Amino acid sequence: MVVCNFFLQGRCRYGEKCWYEHPRGGNRGGGGGGGGYNESYSRSSGQQQFRGGGGGFGNRVWVNPSQQRGSYIQPSSFSSQERSDWGSGGGRGGRRENLKSSDFSFSTQNRFSDLSSPSTFDKGGRGGGRAGGAPAGEEDDEKKLEMVQMDMEVWESSGQWGFSCYSSFKAPISGFTDLSPEELRLEYYSARASGDLQSYLNGVNQLLSQWKSRVQELKIMNLATRGALLAELNGTAPQPSTGDFCSTTPAVFGFPSSGFGSKDFGAPAPAQASSFSFTASGFGSSAAPSASAAGFGSAVAAPTQPPTGFGSSSASSASTFSFAAPDPNKLAASSGFGSASGFSFSSAANTGGGFGTGFGTGAPGTAGGGSALVQTGFGAASSTALAEAGSVGGPLDSLFSAESKLTEEELNQFKAKRFTLGQVPLKPPPANLLVV
Amino acid sequence: MSLFGTNSSFGTGGTGVFGSTTTDSHNPMKDVEVTSPPDDSISCLAFSPPTMPGNFLIAGSWANDVRCWEVQDNGQTVPKAQQMHTGPVLDVCWSDDGSKVFTASCDKTAKMWDLNSNQAMQIAQHDGPIKAIHWIKAPNYSCVMTGSWDKTLKVQMPNCECLYVYPMAVVATAERGLIVYQLETQPSEFRRIDSPLKHQHRCVAIFKDKQNKPTGFALGSIEGRVAIHYINPPNPAKDNFTFKCHRSNGTNTTTPQDIYAVNAISFHPVHGTLATVGSDGRFSFWDKDARTKLKTSEQLDQPITACCFNHNGNIFAYASSYDWSKGHEYYNPQKKNYIFLRNAAEELKPRNKKW
Repeated sequence: MVVCNFFLQGRCRYGEKCWYEHPRGGNRGGGGGGGGYNESYSRSSGQQQFRGGGGGFGNRVWVNPSQQRGSYIQPSSFSSQERSDWGSGGGRGGRRENLKSSDFSFSTQNRFSDLSSPSTFDKGGRGGGRAGGAPAGEEDDEKKLEMVQMDMEVWESSGQWGFSCYSSFKAPISGFTDLSPEELRLEYYSARASGDLQSYLNGVNQLLSQWKSRVQELKIMNLATRGALLAELNGTAPQPSTGDFCSTTPAVFGFPSSGFGSKDFGAPAPAQASSFSFTASGFGSSAAPSASAAGFGSAVAAPTQPPTGFGSSSASSASTFSFAAPDPNKLAASSGFGSASGFSFSSAANTGGGFGTGFGTGAPGTAGGGSALVQTGFGAASSTALAEAGSVGGPLDSLFSAESKLTEEELNQFKAKRFTLGQVPLKPPPANLLVV
Repeated sequence: MSLFGTNSSFGTGGTGVFGSTTTDSHNPMKDVEVTSPPDDSISCLAFSPPTMPGNFLIAGSWANDVRCWEVQDNGQTVPKAQQMHTGPVLDVCWSDDGSKVFTASCDKTAKMWDLNSNQAMQIAQHDGPIKAIHWIKAPNYSCVMTGSWDKTLKVQMPNCECLYVYPMAVVATAERGLIVYQLETQPSEFRRIDSPLKHQHRCVAIFKDKQNKPTGFALGSIEGRVAIHYINPPNPAKDNFTFKCHRSNGTNTTTPQDIYAVNAISFHPVHGTLATVGSDGRFSFWDKDARTKLKTSEQLDQPITACCFNHNGNIFAYASSYDWSKGHEYYNPQKKNYIFLRNAAEELKPRNKKW
């Protein structure tokens, strides 16, 4: 049979009715456009721009890709992208375009057009959408971030339930509590019964402001959040390029029961921890992770600032952290406080509490337990971070250790290009190993 | 301060916010109203199984009670009985022979209510409120499965006696978790699935294929979206999909949409089509195989919190009450809660799929 050219381009108007052959595994983009169902396939490049025509459905006009903001994908490359997308089936939300181009009304060839339903069935809730096969690296990440931003905007403006976890790609993005309305309602009823509505109100307000600030942060996506988010999304060790500490924002950790110490944090100050007089049952699921992560955006504005803030606060408060962790002495002595910020932690076990950049994580008991404590979002483990440790100043006297003092493993770590998780040295590096 | 925006159209007094309607819009679809509904929000609805003659409807509510009505063929509803818990009731289900009702409550207990004797006894205890309860009848065992906010799933083997359709159970957890259990020999975890949705899960319902075997589930989230997911599809990328629902002004792309949570999903036992109800106060019928919407209702003045089909699919019951989606400010204890019954035989017929 003759192969249908339009189908290959993704814009066959006849869909299943077409007289020509539509090779399966070819471009699915336009498949079934005029046919039985109207699906909007998530497009890899269709981040924000796919207006109605993007999908090549039915009688749609093919939107010129060059008009699409930020698009660098030519239509011909669609098919390959599409295929890889489907193949990967990665958890790429890929619903970007649907939010904007929701008028995927059924084409006239579609006999269900009279239903005039604005809700479209779209595919690729999971598969495709993200440029799985697209040039990896920067642009891919860019799109991810953009998608997160778009989602935040929608979330904010739509009035939907805010106490929900959120994730665009496989891993949940930190900073969001996951509460169901029933749980909240139960809290209200209990509070009402006990006559203490005020604490409920306070708690709710607090959660609300946390959510708002977190959404804002992700929406605005300043450099800090960006770095952090990318690290989280990629699930990799922190990129050494950005020397920012600030990636702490997505760090997820349990509510510190002990004094937080750090003054850079607004919302989850320990004083308020008590106002969360939610009974444990109500928040069983949400208590541990992420509750307090929000609201830190402001704290980590510029890379240069935090060190001083952290330096002073953390060092002094190192004692207030109720870390049962190894060697609090080491903490105080090792001016590696500054360097600690450059670490990425797998679990709090080996890092003396994983305070990195001064975020106390409360009792390491919870730190260990809360598996969400993967603080991958920490800034670079690079020497630049370590060098900044020098600028931390404050109570940190000895910034570098003599080589003789370091064990062989620690030396190897310092010599290696990157730290390996679980073996991050706690002592500062010798000065000569630093590449400044 | 209002929770999550002020675009709710549910004013606390139901004061005709919808423009044209001058009459009270609590029942715009003119469906049959169930008599003496519960005094507080209805959390769950369940119809009696086919093994029992007649139709009986059970509803659990936040007023700590479980009520039972007999639904007669002419649409009349007769209140039959009521049981109380010490906390709001979150889920109810029937035993397969229709003689017992299992109720799960925030008071951390699950009870078995024997309808014949009108006695209720406790059968399960959790450390936290019990959110879901299901009766499972397998060839070699029968049990009650309870899922709770204390993060455990318990299986009770009652001596006499989450979401389940034998032999599969699907549990949707917080943090967007999804676990599928197989129930053949005894409940055991079959697979953990990555959530196809980006936001918090709200409801899940299992659907069956033509041979009446469960093949997949529908998952609803707070973000006005439902994902249809098959367990072992021949072509996952093609077969699994999501669709948007319960959103406002869908055709207008310039203004931001209002997005509502999907509160419950139910599958029609005969046709395999599904119904979704949402916080926007509407219900919709969908055909997942043809991937189209069959019908959307008018907007009620309260969110719809629960829905259910009776065993032969003739009756569709839905409950109109506040679901706390906008926080406590919009909670009006004086507002009446309703359960409506609708004839579902015609509207849920699937569309013909292939040309």
